[in-house]
Amino acid sequence: MTPTRAQLEDVLKSLAGVRYADIRYTATHQQHVKVRNGEVDHLSSTIDRAIGVRVLVGNGWGFAASSDISEASIRRAAKRALEVAAASNAASNVRVTLSDIEPHVATWESPYRIDPWSVPIDKKLEHLMNATEPMRGDTRIHQVAGEISCYRQEKVFASMLPGERSGSFIEQTTTQMGGGIEAVAIDNGEFQRRTYPNPFGGDFQAEGWEFIERLNMPEKALQVRDEALALLAAPKAPAGRFDLIVGSAQLALQVHESCGHPTELDRAMGLEISLAGGSFMQPSMLDNFRYGSDLVNIVADATIPGALGSFGFDDDGVPAQRFHLVENGMFVGYLTGRDTAPFIGRASNGTVRAETAARIPIIRMTNINLEPGTTPLADIIADTKHGILVETNKSWSIDDLRLNFQFGCEVAWEIENGKLGRMLRNPLYTGNTPDFWRSCDAIADRDSWQIWGLPNCGKGDPMQTMRVAHGAPSARFRGVEMA
Amino acid sequence: MTDKSTAYEILERALAAAKADEADAAYIAVDHNISRFANSQLHQNMSEESASLTLRVVVGGAMGVATTTVFEEDEIQRTAEVARETAKHSNAVPGFAGLYRDNEPLPHVDGFDEQTAALAPMEKALALRAMFDRGTDVTFAGAYASGATSVACGNTHGVRRYARSTFADATVIAIGKNGSGYATSRQQSASRVDVRALGEEAMLKATLASDRVEDLEPGAYDVILEPPALAEVFDWLNMIALTGQSYEDGSSFFVGNLGKQALGENFTLLDDATDASFLPFPFDLEGLPKRCTALVENGVLRTPVLDKEWADRLGLAPTANAWSLGSPEHGSAFHLSMAGGNSTREEMIASTKLGIWVTRFNYVNGLLEPRTALMTGTTRDGTFLIRDGKVAARLPNLRWTQSMVEAFSNIEALSSERRSVGTWYNMFGGTLAPVAKIRGWNITGKQETRSS
Repeated sequence: MTPTRAQLEDVLKSLAGVRYADIRYTATHQQHVKVRNGEVDHLSSTIDRAIGVRVLVGNGWGFAASSDISEASIRRAAKRALEVAAASNAASNVRVTLSDIEPHVATWESPYRIDPWSVPIDKKLEHLMNATEPMRGDTRIHQVAGEISCYRQEKVFASMLPGERSGSFIEQTTTQMGGGIEAVAIDNGEFQRRTYPNPFGGDFQAEGWEFIERLNMPEKALQVRDEALALLAAPKAPAGRFDLIVGSAQLALQVHESCGHPTELDRAMGLEISLAGGSFMQPSMLDNFRYGSDLVNIVADATIPGALGSFGFDDDGVPAQRFHLVENGMFVGYLTGRDTAPFIGRASNGTVRAETAARIPIIRMTNINLEPGTTPLADIIADTKHGILVETNKSWSIDDLRLNFQFGCEVAWEIENGKLGRMLRNPLYTGNTPDFWRSCDAIADRDSWQIWGLPNCGKGDPMQTMRVAHGAPSARFRGVEMA
Repeated sequence: MTDKSTAYEILERALAAAKADEADAAYIAVDHNISRFANSQLHQNMSEESASLTLRVVVGGAMGVATTTVFEEDEIQRTAEVARETAKHSNAVPGFAGLYRDNEPLPHVDGFDEQTAALAPMEKALALRAMFDRGTDVTFAGAYASGATSVACGNTHGVRRYARSTFADATVIAIGKNGSGYATSRQQSASRVDVRALGEEAMLKATLASDRVEDLEPGAYDVILEPPALAEVFDWLNMIALTGQSYEDGSSFFVGNLGKQALGENFTLLDDATDASFLPFPFDLEGLPKRCTALVENGVLRTPVLDKEWADRLGLAPTANAWSLGSPEHGSAFHLSMAGGNSTREEMIASTKLGIWVTRFNYVNGLLEPRTALMTGTTRDGTFLIRDGKVAARLPNLRWTQSMVEAFSNIEALSSERRSVGTWYNMFGGTLAPVAKIRGWNITGKQETRSS
């Protein structure tokens, strides 16, 4: 069913007058299992197959896609892509320049030990029941739920450069799993949700069933229940300025929203402004803008085994790479692709991806990581006289330039004289991106560093959901405004 | 596009393969064309033809769902097998009375326009080029989308439905020296989407009061919200308050309040896919006829939106809102229509001593405290200070944090004119909303663009 190299190259060779062309094929398999209140709540299975043809004619890009993956359909899509490119060329007069690339013939697979589809549904359900049933019983617990997701994408990329007899031909397979549990407590009009290890489906890794076993959800169930109940009676987190310790999972999302997105070069160039917005981090600021304190090092690394944002090659056919976005607090790099990197005089660093072959590849985060510091988290807490520790994201919002943000968390704890105190509910913190990162005066060591998978990063039009990851330890920020 | 006989043939094969107590299936084919532009250049341009089949089987009252994009016989048999295997592991849905059987007549609506379905990429490119060329002191960004859908659904009780629809949707941002402006329209026919007029509207907003920029301290202010701003809020309200799932899990403020006056008397919100002037569609994917359903009527909460499975479970009437078979949301409102009033935007501005005129919101999040529909977001693409009944200055983008239960109890005026706004997750419908003036909206911060 997968198109062959000969078929794709034959179509590519038939495209006349193009400056560049590629064809992608994807087969995306997903399974989702969810239990709720002792019942199977959701069980679904999806296979999505697609082909997409992208061409550059003059200064116009054209892209056409279909869920029909037959050879005839690929040829129709190629013809349609040429028509679309001609239209683009009529409304574009800026020269499109592509950074140089070597053709690659390669195969890449993400590693896993236990195939997600080899684990029977019964076993997945049993695991989820074991992780959720212990949370039931208290009348204030209105809902307990647990879910497991399986994801596999097989991708073929073929490209042809003008004048070349053969271009790239790359086959990649990514296998991923995710899981999480939650307890919802309601009492006297108060509604509190506590999750493990993260909300919105839990945590995700490019691994197999071994990752679900390692999550140990059944062992965490009672703690999740108890914290949901405790939040009902906990005092509201106070407003005002506080020294804030942000837990690893929440800090991962902070990195995502306030560093990952604004360092996407297409955003900085205004190319995504109609939907997602622009970026305050403009090319003129490269290498001379203090983004954070000296302690802050943020790296894009698509080569980490097991992380959700890892791959062998991006959807331009550029190999996966590791590079700094922020080094010792200074803004030093963007996420780029072949058609954007020349704008800042650099070569593509391989971050262009599409959700499936039916979508245009655009710049996406890979694994964007805040590097660990050297201080144990316990020492940072002990060193905090009067502060608040926040954990686990509940809500997120940031403006169109990625400057003004507001995050809500599931839970917070007071810190008084270096000791964790009372639990607090509904913590909400807000700030300005560079002010926030410049106020970072302690980053915890590798013991608190964890890589978190986010399978739901939205960007593009039509909306593309991308699977990315963020490594982060806990860290302290001085004088942060709590709302 | 898929014609009726082809779509029905695929459905018949899927239902025959089901081999279950009951089964239903939905086939959706979409032709989707999007031309995206930025810096007054058409930089992304795509054309997609896609189709998918979802089969849901019911065995002993338990359901299993599987989806595929390949319709060859062996793949349909495999999909049915997966759905049956899934059902085998599911529980019977409490109270479920079976799939839809009544086969009632559908509303007579026609949402299809041949010219829109056939709109060529070059036609759109030339319309955009003409708009780019008229930009004075601004550059344009946005998207011009058009497309057609063919939808067929049916079940083992003989229900068969088929409909085609079209949509055209343009969003334009004009970016000037001191600010940006925005205009949008979503229509069933491309002939009703005037890209040039949208460009001029956005340009006017981008240059309005561009020589007067003021700041504003946090606090409660009267706001005049344009339809795109309300549509952003409704997208979230849909998720956190209107779905069957949010009602069942207790997170919706509708819980315990059906039939009660929870919002202001001048707030009415409908789910109406039968409005021929909007984006009409005759049925949901379980085959139930669409009708005009009041979700909030003069401030009284009437019903969440429900698929049949969840309506049976909750003992409520189904509202024909299954837009995906077996969806975990158990109902979603795709045709939200907020009632207007008898005012105009200009009258609202003139009657405001100190307030804020908001074009649209950005990055709204409604998960803060769902029981009060507490949301946060920022303003974007045209935020203006109103002083003594006049536009006094441009404002920076502002952060707000506001309970929608409170806001929709504090509506002071509504325009009679309403506009349609598209939603990214829904190509069947959108939101139809007036301009609303709301008292005491909580501004909690602002975008500070300094970068040194």
